[in-house]
Order: sequence, then structure tokens, then C-alpha cells
Amino acid sequence: MLLSVENLEVKYGNIQALHGISFDVREGEIVTLIGANGAGKTTSLYSIARLAPPEAPKVVGGDIRFMGESILDTAPSDVVKNLKLALVPEGRHIFGNLTVMENLELATYSRDKDADLDKDYQRIFDLFPRLAERRKQRSESLSGGEQQMLAVGRALMTGCRALMLDEPSMGLAPVLKYELFRTLKKLNKEGMTLLLVEQNAKLALDIAHRGYVLDTGTIAASGTSEELAGNPEVRKAYLGG
Amino acid sequence: MLRYTFHILLILAGGLITWMAYEEMIGLYTLSVLMFMGVNIIMSTSLNLVNGYMGEFSCGHAGFMCVGAYVSSILGVLLFAKDKVFGAPLLDPSLAIYAFPFIVLAGGVAAALAGLLVAIPSYKTRGDYLAIITIAANYIIISVIENLGVIGGSRGFMGMKRVINAMEDVAYLPWMPIWVFLFTVFSVWLLRRYLSSTFGKGVSAICQDEVAAEIMSVNTNKIKTISFMVSSGVAGIAGGLFAYVIGYVNPGSFNILKSTEALVMVYLGGMGSLSGSILSAVLFTLLLEALRPLQIIKWVVIPLLLIILMQFRPEGIMGNKELGDMFPWLKRFYKFK
Repeated sequence: MLLSVENLEVKYGNIQALHGISFDVREGEIVTLIGANGAGKTTSLYSIARLAPPEAPKVVGGDIRFMGESILDTAPSDVVKNLKLALVPEGRHIFGNLTVMENLELATYSRDKDADLDKDYQRIFDLFPRLAERRKQRSESLSGGEQQMLAVGRALMTGCRALMLDEPSMGLAPVLKYELFRTLKKLNKEGMTLLLVEQNAKLALDIAHRGYVLDTGTIAASGTSEELAGNPEVRKAYLGG
Repeated sequence: MLRYTFHILLILAGGLITWMAYEEMIGLYTLSVLMFMGVNIIMSTSLNLVNGYMGEFSCGHAGFMCVGAYVSSILGVLLFAKDKVFGAPLLDPSLAIYAFPFIVLAGGVAAALAGLLVAIPSYKTRGDYLAIITIAANYIIISVIENLGVIGGSRGFMGMKRVINAMEDVAYLPWMPIWVFLFTVFSVWLLRRYLSSTFGKGVSAICQDEVAAEIMSVNTNKIKTISFMVSSGVAGIAGGLFAYVIGYVNPGSFNILKSTEALVMVYLGGMGSLSGSILSAVLFTLLLEALRPLQIIKWVVIPLLLIILMQFRPEGIMGNKELGDMFPWLKRFYKFK
């Protein structure tokens, strides 16, 4: 088991956002968390990424284990550096006044400087040819879709083995959404483990192996993508009938 | 050779000032303005690290200067000068010449430690709230010193002239201009190296987006701690030099008004531009002197100029660019990295 979340309870101040959820991700899988606004999807990812307060949630119960070991005392920078678990946050959070290339370079911040980085840059540019075209451009001048590609590319540049994506389809035109998800699928084929949080349940279940449905801080349903897509309640609530 | 032009110019400038001061070709007044320029350069560049590059708002910079000023003054007097309170010098005054840089650096180290007063709260606080903490830190430092009777309290502390005299007894040179010049160069070099390191990239990452910095494996708490400590430590160096230039320190001269002066210089020069800060420190010092005949009205005119600047060029003289970015041909003449 690569990542397992056990009875996780999380609070923002006095408001409890997660009421003891459990889910796990195996190596090489695509697992998706789907659910409506406020269900606790982003909170789950932020907790796993160990982002520090003030913006981040406080874990009050349960445990998060990575390869069997609790990571509740791990610093956010070490989640990326040592565990090689990268996050593509909702809203992209790219460095707007840096160029595309500089954004990617920053992602190698704590990587071994002797490592063969050129190969990794090339891999990103193969996955997202648009980024190669715009590598010298300030990233705030990119379109929304390109910014999302940059956010994913930047996360990959950290040298991660697992990627958490928070609503990557948000604000993208349908064509771009499909293109992005095809790329994610391709990444997974190459061995990348993905934990995908999505509002667009159909799209997410299309590429995921397994999924969990979150509802107001609890797990409402879980199973393989086919099971979830066939579940009448899930269909009604998240897939439009 | 060409790329060392800058270094050669720097050495020539330092040598020229020393020579002219030695031959008494420039008066004491001009010399003191030049020295304040150096102190102001150190102050504004060090504050720029926090306010410009890291994007926090520190308005208690003078507090750290105060720590540096007092620690290096007391240390100098204790070791090398006869004093009413501390008695006979602990070491042979003729050693003062060698120990002086370490005395100033000790002030810097003490100020860096005082910087923790702001660095630790900065883990969980930012923006306006952190600004309030920095003001509080400034007041705490001043109040503590005002209430320490041993070192003169609010009446201040003096005796540093005797340390300088001890240096002049060994070799008659204009020591203070030399030290100010060397420390100014050292401070700017240090900040420049810090900011252009991999670590320094983390500083600007925090400035832009802290969440993004964290998920790029930037250890934000560590960087904030070190940056605040470097910034306040360098301010401490400025304070130490300031104390020895004037020969007298009192807590009143490091109040919030002094911090404001540092802020004005940073914003005048441009946030995130070291060369901007240097330029603005020079201009600001000259402006203060040029407007001296206006006496108290000076403090009406200068803020007014500031308002005008903010209206027409809110990003400051240089914005966030360095001189080398604005005039690329300049890059032929220096190479820092």
C-alpha cells in the first residue's frame, strides 16, 4: 500500500471538515475522490500534503500512512523531498511572474543537483509540447489550460512517484480537459500513481481504477470505477442520472 | 579583465575616499555624510531582503540596528577603552585595530538572534499581522535598553571615540570611513550571494505563493528564519557602524521613525532590487542633507516627495529590476556569481 488514510478527522478551527474517512492508494493506481463542493476533497489532499496552518486543516484524529509509516509529523517540504509525493493544487498556484522554465526549475529546488534533469525537462516537454513552445514566456500570460499543464509539469519536475491532483479540469474547455486526462492516463501507464480529486465525476471515473465518493466529510461509497459508475445513487447524484 | 572593472572601480573608490580623508581634502562633514550613506545602504538593502524579496512587511528594522549598535559599542568599550562603568580595558587597546571587525560582526550576530523575535511568529502570521509584531519587537528592544541603567538607559551610551582613538594610536588612518566602506561592500555582497543562491530562489517563491513554495519542497519556516536573521543581522552591522560613526548611542535614535526611514529607502529604490536600494539610500542621504536648511519643514517636504513618487512611480526607482537588467551592457563590467 503506497498511501493509506485511516479514520482521518480534520478540523478548521471549530468546524469539522472530515469525520473519519478512510481510503487507500496502491502503487501504480489511479484513485479518484469525487464529491460535491464542501465534501472534503481538497481538505483530504491538503492533509496528506501536510500543508501547514494557517491555510491548512488540522488533523484531530486518525492517521495518514505512506508506505506503512505515519506522516503526520512530516514537514510539507519533506513530503515532496523525501516521500516524493507531489501536489497539483486547485487554482494551479503557479509562480505568475516567473517564466515557464523558471517555474519548472524551481520544482527541482531540493533535488540532487547532479541528477539528470535534462531528461526530465524533455519528458515534460514531450508530454506538454505547448510548454516547450512557451518556455521563455511569463507564466501568468499563459492560457488557463497551459497554466494547468505547467502546474502538472512542475509537480512532475519534483521527481515525484505519486501525484495528487486537485480539480485539474476546473475552468478548462472540454477539448483541453480530454487532452489533459489523456496525458494523465499516459503518465499512469508509465508507472505514476495518481490520486485525483474531481468534481467532474464522469471524466474521473473514465480514467480511474478505483474511486471513493465523499459526502460532507464521510465516505458515501467506494469501489472500482465500473461499480461506482453503475451505482444508481452515484449516477443520480454525480453523473446526472 | 573587463568583468573585473567593477571590482577595480570599487577598490579605487575606497582608496580615493581613504586618501582624501587622510590628506584632509574632504571635510569632516562630507566624510560623515559619506559614512551615513554607507550605513543607510546597509540598512535599506537588508530590509529589502524581507520587505522586497520575501514579501513580508517588517517595520521594526531600527530595533535590530539598535541591538547591533549597543552590543558592538559595549563590547568595544569593555575590551579596549577606559570607562567609568566598566573600568580599565580588558585587552590591550592596541589590539582594537584587529578586533574591530569582529566587534561589529558580534553586534550583527546579536541582532540576528534578536531577529528570532520576529522570525518565529512569522511561521504562522503574515502580512499586516506580522507587521504589527515587527513594530512590537522594535518597541520591546528599545524599552529593554531604556530600562538598563548599567548602560546608560535612555541617556545613552558613549565611549566609542576612545576605541577609535586607540586604533588611531596604532596607525593614523581615517579608520571609520575605511570600516564603513568595507562593511558596506561586505553586506551588499553577502545579501547578493544569499539571494542568488538556490536558497534565495526559495525566498522569492515564498513571496509569490507560499502554498506553491511548500509543495515545491521549499521549507518555508527554515527560509523565513534564516532570511529574518540575515536581514536583522546585517541591520545590526549597520547599527554598530552607526554607533561608532557618531560615537554615541541612545535608544531614542532607533525608534519607529528610524525604521520608517529604512522603509522609505526600500520603497523609493524599488522592492526586490538591491541596486535600487543602494541608489535610494544614496539619494535619500543626500536629500536629507540638501534639505537641512529647511529644518523641521524637511519632514513635510520629504513625505510629500514620497507621495508624489508613489503617485507617478509606485514601483520605486528601479521596480524589481537590478541595474544590470535595465542596462544589460553593464553586465560586461561585473560578475558577482
